[in-house]
Amino acid sequence: MSVKVDPNFMKELESFGLKDASKCFHCGNCTAICPLSEGKTPFPRKLVKYTQLGLKDKILRSPEPWLCYYCGTCSEKCPRGADPGETMMVMRRYLTSKYDWTGFSKRFYTSERFEIIAIVVVGLLVGIALLIFNTGKPDWEHARINSLWPKEKIEIADLIMAAVLSFLLLSNAYRCIKFIMGDLLGKIPFRYYKEQFRELIVHFLTQKQFSKCEDKKQWLIHLLIMTGYSTAFLLVVVFIRLFQRDHIEYELLHPIRLLGYYSTAALLYGCTYALIGRLNKSKPPYKNSHSTDWMFLILLELTTLTGIFIHFTRLLDWPFATYALYVIHLMVAVPMLVLEVPFAKWAHLAYRPIVIFLMKVRENYLRDQASESVESGEVQERAAT
Amino acid sequence: MSGPTNQSILVVGGGMSGMTAAIEAAEAGYEVYLVEKNPYLGGRVAQLNLYFPKLCPPYCGLEINFRRIKQNPKIRVFTMAQVESITGEEGNFEVTVLLRPRYVNEKCTCCGKCAEATTLEIDNPFNYGMDRVKAAYLPHDMAFPMRYVIDPVLVQSSEAQKVKESCPYDAIDLSMEPKTITLSVGSIVWATGWNPYDAKKLDTYGFGVYPDVITNVMMERMAANNGPTQGKIVRPSTGQPPKNVAFIQCAGSRDENHLPFCSSICCLASMKQATYVRDQLPDSKVYIFYIDIRATDRYEDFYSKIKQDEGIVFFKGKVAKIFPSETSDQLILRVENTMTEELMEMPFDLVVLATGMEPSTARDLLPIPVAYDDYQFLPALTVQPGIYAAGCVRSPLNVAESVQDGTSAAIRAIKSIVGRR
Repeated sequence: MSVKVDPNFMKELESFGLKDASKCFHCGNCTAICPLSEGKTPFPRKLVKYTQLGLKDKILRSPEPWLCYYCGTCSEKCPRGADPGETMMVMRRYLTSKYDWTGFSKRFYTSERFEIIAIVVVGLLVGIALLIFNTGKPDWEHARINSLWPKEKIEIADLIMAAVLSFLLLSNAYRCIKFIMGDLLGKIPFRYYKEQFRELIVHFLTQKQFSKCEDKKQWLIHLLIMTGYSTAFLLVVVFIRLFQRDHIEYELLHPIRLLGYYSTAALLYGCTYALIGRLNKSKPPYKNSHSTDWMFLILLELTTLTGIFIHFTRLLDWPFATYALYVIHLMVAVPMLVLEVPFAKWAHLAYRPIVIFLMKVRENYLRDQASESVESGEVQERAAT
Repeated sequence: MSGPTNQSILVVGGGMSGMTAAIEAAEAGYEVYLVEKNPYLGGRVAQLNLYFPKLCPPYCGLEINFRRIKQNPKIRVFTMAQVESITGEEGNFEVTVLLRPRYVNEKCTCCGKCAEATTLEIDNPFNYGMDRVKAAYLPHDMAFPMRYVIDPVLVQSSEAQKVKESCPYDAIDLSMEPKTITLSVGSIVWATGWNPYDAKKLDTYGFGVYPDVITNVMMERMAANNGPTQGKIVRPSTGQPPKNVAFIQCAGSRDENHLPFCSSICCLASMKQATYVRDQLPDSKVYIFYIDIRATDRYEDFYSKIKQDEGIVFFKGKVAKIFPSETSDQLILRVENTMTEELMEMPFDLVVLATGMEPSTARDLLPIPVAYDDYQFLPALTVQPGIYAAGCVRSPLNVAESVQDGTSAAIRAIKSIVGRR
């Protein structure tokens, strides 16, 4: 099989945030210090090598970028300041753009201008849509969002959005699976996937791989943002009928209300911590911030803050402020979902557990294959004697 | 220039390059003061077991130098001495030197009665603290000057008088005080050498935590007949010979978090030490973990020779961390084989860290403001007019290069004062 080499690859990756990979002299310290790096899938040096050599095809087939949670130990201990952790981050951005068949993701990552315009356009469209499509009969006596935008209508819009996002994300995820598994995809019997399905869910919910890293705080922050986000997503997209209530009907300890508070607190703490960390460059994973990292955190933080404000204006029963904030809230939240979920950072929510799952499936399959071939070899030997 | 130029030369540092500079200048007819911090001459070379690549003991060369010093009335040696200040300019320097008390005078015959008389012990600095010596001690078997030293701990103890009385030659003088002398010289050679990089800073290697992790300079002492184990290579934890030994190259060298430069000698030193292990323990296995092997020109022959030995494995990959095995008393090294991309965890009995050379000026600056390079070395042979750098304080060098550097500095020091009478 021929190996394609792209000598300009490092240049291309610069727009994805690549900076110091060329400094690497391949001592292997990063791979050996990494608590997640394992025998069959050693990283990150391998990916730094692929990057330096311009081996795009190999990168496309690599599961390793999704096995890294970016604790930053490799970068901290790198004798060359080559920042292998950041190279892995660049790989995730690059792969996200490669898995995306629409080509939108690539433009989003490689052009700050495109990124900002896309966010603004989607935000404005949402704003205009909310101004055009409403009942026209707002309740100016009491803050009742449903009087302008009934939850049933929002639910329909939500479901349409969810369907489009799911289609895009799943089709991209399928490409991810295809690239990584190659020919094996069709060969491995279904039961191997079934066996590991529980692990997929566990990984998704606990991010337990991350807890093996030295810096437990990063795992906590990651878990807070991820669970806060997922909870909020379920509340506003799937359970909007239960969530968008005009009166505070639920008592304080009602599950829906508790979930809302949990997700708000988790997102607020997680995002603020990450934002301050990135501003102060407090640890290796926060040292280099791509424009999409900022965009992601800022949109998420703004969504959370506007959500909190709405909660207060509703409690205070201020109709105008509530309606205005509701529009702003959606003008921030929707672009974050529409652009980040299938095309950018949120996509890793799907890719990472899927890849961990696939690696386990592949490992089990190959192990069984190996032991079978040993057994059949023994049988043949016996037959021969 | 005010007044006649002083025709004497000060050499600071009595290691290989300083001694060479002093001898060369004296043999050319100049008056030389040689100032050494330790109680003996020879510096780091005196602590080596064998030289590479010829694998011969350094003492034959050192003894020739000591004899040249002894025979030459133009060299005055001050041991246990440190330069405190330098004033003046090229041709007329005034240098103050602090002389620490040895408490032993020239009547000492090295009979060892004083050591017998005391119970006090100190960490043996000559063996990097791997063993202890009596607080009245000869720095090492071949020390020059051949004279005992009494540690201040002993002088201040209740045993002091007993030890003084034990000397049959009246060689112990407890009343010695630190004193400062002033030397007038025309030029100065600065040859204060290097220190091994502090392995405790390599936090993932556990030096100082796991006794079986030692440094390359400690290995030299361990392999030396006058060392802490009388030349036996053993695991410090058990005292038993190791079955396998790992050498970790670039331990703190070529590393932006530690010493960013290559010390240039550690590859050869580890290969040399691998021969110590293999010669003494023929059943042992040696692994040398490296990033790149730097054995150029004639040293490549040595590398080729070492590679012939099947008991020595060159393993390409920098060891990232060392931790104790859960199932045995060995240490596990986590390392990527960068040739095959395999991640390995390998057990070893003894681990030698090939730590690099930190210039002595990283800790002790010159008493006058001069320029240093990014790594705290003196950046050029000429530090400033009249002051010349020689040896490892200027650049990491091997012994042969240090000799050349010492000679070069001697010529410059002479040129600086010659014809200015």
